[in-house]
Amino acid sequence: MLGLGVASSIAAGADQVLDLEVTTNRPDCLGHLGVAREVAAAFEREFVRPVYSVRETGKSVHEAIKIGISDLEGCARYCGRVIENVEVRPSPEWMARRLEAVGVRPINNVADATNYVLMELGHPLHAFDLAHLRGARIDVRRARAGEKLQTLDGVDRELSKADLVIADAERAVALAGVMGGADSEITSATRHVMLESAWFEPVIVRRTAKRHALHTEASHRFERGMDIMMARGAVDRTAALIAELSGGQVLAGVVDVYPLRRIRSTIVLRSSEIRRILGTDVEGPEVIRDLTALGFSIEPGPEATWHVVPPSFRLDVEREVDLIEEVARLHGYDALPMRVRAAPPSAERDLGRERELEISSTLRALGYREIIVPSMVDPGENARFTDAEPVRLMNPLTEDASAMRSTAVPGMLRALRWNLDRGQTDLRFFESGKIYTTSARTSEGLPAEYRVLTLGATGLQRPASVHDTARPLDFFDLKGDLETLLAGFESGRPEFAAEDLRYHEPGSGGRYFANGEVLARFGQLHHELAREYKLRQPIYLAEIGLECLLGLNLRARHFRAIPRYPAVERDLSLLVPESVVYRQIEEAVSAVKLAELQGFRAVDRFAGRSLPAGHYSLLLRMVLQSPDRTLTGEEADAASRQIMAALEPLGIQLRGA
Amino acid sequence: MTIDEKAAKTLDELGLADSNGVGELFAEVRAAIECEVDSFRRREASDSDSACEAKTLRDRWLARGHGLIAQIDQNWLKATPKESRGMVGAEFNRLRQYATSQIDVDSLPGARKTTSAARGEAARGPDLTLPGNQRELGSIHPVTRVQRELEDIFIGLGFRIETGPEIESVYNNFDALNIPESHPSRDDWDTLYIDSTTLLRTHTSPVQIRAMRKHGAPLYIVTPGKCYRNENPDATHSAMFHQIEGLAVDTDITFADLKGTLDFFAKKFFGERTRTRFQPSFFPFTEPSGEMAASCPFCGGQGCRTCKESGWIELMGCGMVHPDVLRHGGIDPERYSGWAFGLGIERFAMLKYDIGEIQNFFQSDVRFLKQF
Repeated sequence: MLGLGVASSIAAGADQVLDLEVTTNRPDCLGHLGVAREVAAAFEREFVRPVYSVRETGKSVHEAIKIGISDLEGCARYCGRVIENVEVRPSPEWMARRLEAVGVRPINNVADATNYVLMELGHPLHAFDLAHLRGARIDVRRARAGEKLQTLDGVDRELSKADLVIADAERAVALAGVMGGADSEITSATRHVMLESAWFEPVIVRRTAKRHALHTEASHRFERGMDIMMARGAVDRTAALIAELSGGQVLAGVVDVYPLRRIRSTIVLRSSEIRRILGTDVEGPEVIRDLTALGFSIEPGPEATWHVVPPSFRLDVEREVDLIEEVARLHGYDALPMRVRAAPPSAERDLGRERELEISSTLRALGYREIIVPSMVDPGENARFTDAEPVRLMNPLTEDASAMRSTAVPGMLRALRWNLDRGQTDLRFFESGKIYTTSARTSEGLPAEYRVLTLGATGLQRPASVHDTARPLDFFDLKGDLETLLAGFESGRPEFAAEDLRYHEPGSGGRYFANGEVLARFGQLHHELAREYKLRQPIYLAEIGLECLLGLNLRARHFRAIPRYPAVERDLSLLVPESVVYRQIEEAVSAVKLAELQGFRAVDRFAGRSLPAGHYSLLLRMVLQSPDRTLTGEEADAASRQIMAALEPLGIQLRGA
Repeated sequence: MTIDEKAAKTLDELGLADSNGVGELFAEVRAAIECEVDSFRRREASDSDSACEAKTLRDRWLARGHGLIAQIDQNWLKATPKESRGMVGAEFNRLRQYATSQIDVDSLPGARKTTSAARGEAARGPDLTLPGNQRELGSIHPVTRVQRELEDIFIGLGFRIETGPEIESVYNNFDALNIPESHPSRDDWDTLYIDSTTLLRTHTSPVQIRAMRKHGAPLYIVTPGKCYRNENPDATHSAMFHQIEGLAVDTDITFADLKGTLDFFAKKFFGERTRTRFQPSFFPFTEPSGEMAASCPFCGGQGCRTCKESGWIELMGCGMVHPDVLRHGGIDPERYSGWAFGLGIERFAMLKYDIGEIQNFFQSDVRFLKQF
């Protein structure tokens, strides 16, 4: 209910270990103390802090260590204590058990004490072997050019001048807020301990940790923002614990370098703003009680406002709305009201969506199944299908997913292969996605993205059944499907041109274009590519420019009166020279502009024994109709003659004439 | 002149009264029969309407009274004076024999079915229990189906669909959403980068920024689209996935609108008996931030495998748009407020269809696709 999700709850002896999901804004809950505070506030219980006292010896800490901060930007506070005459040994059983329960490996009583307090109070500490701090000095500064440090993990690190380090009189001894140095590590030989409890600037710790690819319990907390007030409490608590576990003596006093006090600004909280954001009023006493329980100080201000100062451990709270979230959290989201709120009425239609639905419903009706394939591809494979540069990733997961595709063809081929490999041989797929290229840029300078529709088809157009024989799918099935798709749009009369793409079988590729723009390229996959992809049957592919197609209006619907007089069909059995293609016939017949000609189509084409050499036969079926009368046989004949006259220049004759 | 036209005329009208050219004329008719039968046979191999066409072909040539053979009999043979009929008669008999043998319905494969069916019909009627002659429809991908369903719910509430580029500026994807490089929250998104200022969007939230700048307030949108994360694939993670986010910015938008509208949405998607639960969470771009869970649609909240016995299913992150994000979108946060949500479409599709592995969506296995 608080926003601390319980990922798991496991019994550990008499205890219960809760694994909490702590969001990045709540470093104060990265320790038992902060969680206890939240729970106490939520359940309106008393919040009890751990009790401890430090027994100090007479000797002053200032005699043992000198501490300075050269880089106040990186370190706002540094508290040091010294514990002398420790006996470094394994921690007692209760300590080891508690650490292990929260997933920390026990090391020795000194290191364990710092880790224990890290988990208890949430504040990271570091213990140095005082004997290895040269000059018995600590300085917090940026690393020097060329400075090196071997960290506790045994790695020799070249430091950057931006790295914040803890240094002794001569050299860096720790990466501030990230990891200690190997030289000054606590060992069984250690007698005197210098204990550090500091406040490091989050962004500087984050950059240092990233630079050295180190993520530690300490850096995890410092980069989220620690409690500057806790620096002092934590050093006392830890010193007391070390003395208790190791028999050492805590020197008198703390070296507390804190030159510029951090003061939290006052935030004005308006009850009107609570209402504006939450949609309900929260009573004043509840606001005061909740924020107080969470550690905020709150004073009434003028006109239903409060002056609120967030506690030092809540660096995430900076604005009025952050306070409103705290109020909502403790009030309980489920206790807040509900209201369904629709947008203001609008008659605007989403034409783009209508067009997309037209495309997918047409393709579905034509038997195509929609697929979704990965955008990230192998750039080498991609380059075999297009010259457009794909968009390469800086940090890909794998080499074969290291670029954003600039062609959708390989993805379709892989989808077809996946199925053919599994004995699924009759496939018709469509994929609507994007291709990406650095060969062009958007007005914002981003790599260009284009929407493409890709069709892939193979196998039988129609399976064998008790009613029909099987028929394999061919080029004209794909071409017809494209024509059906384009017919749903105001594509004019899309023009066809034969054109092989590099991956097409020679002489089997074509394209459709309208208004000078290519709408679709399609054809049969080159047999060599088919072999490489282990596709053992003809594959037909189409690439459709969706930006272009979606730019067209859906087919406009106009009513034309249904003719009152019957249509006459006339078949022309043509003898056509082999050099003449259908497009020429189509153009010649259309050019006649016969008013009565409602349409015509080729119903048969064959080249056979009975035909003169170098010719084929084409049966052209015409539909003739007049809006105002029944056409007579003579009129139909006249129309046929006109059409034949237009075809004769192509060397076309009527068969048997 | 077509065969049809010629058959309608007498030999006299065709200028063949003296028998010259009659042989060629009959040869032309036979060639036409050959051509049409040949064409029929080839169509028969590919066309489901062959039975029907067989009848058409037979009627065209052999029908009594108006078939072409009958017309030729009438116009060429019978109209020829008896004395010169001999040669025409011989030619005609050959033609009729040829036509009946070629266009014999039994010899045409497609037609055989008609006749055997017809004979069967006479005896005991067609076997109506045979399956119908189906045409296989294609299918729409389950992610698209669910995306449209989600969109439709919000379109019903008057929201509009907005889309944007998948390759985005780091600024739009992170900085404008209050996720500065210097804050650890940026590490919550495992990001694929193109270069230091360009990335693959990790969520569709940059579309919200773009829409705010483009349209201003009031604004009611949903933003579906592909997103990318640098994540190793497993049962529930994929480097590419689909998200839909929603954004409502207006005067007088409150947390109550967020809760009410998302509760309405959950009921529309999972059923009217669905209950919702809101818990605090953290997202840099919303404040207050929340997680919405719904009562498990499988067990109705009793506890089952899908909801890990909790009775609840986490559905989405949501919250009131952070004032800084409104500001980055060019909207005055003192005057306007807004709510937003974001959810993974694959997760909804997995819940809706009880799909266990996210990788199913991207393998294109037709045995999977056929189920949708």
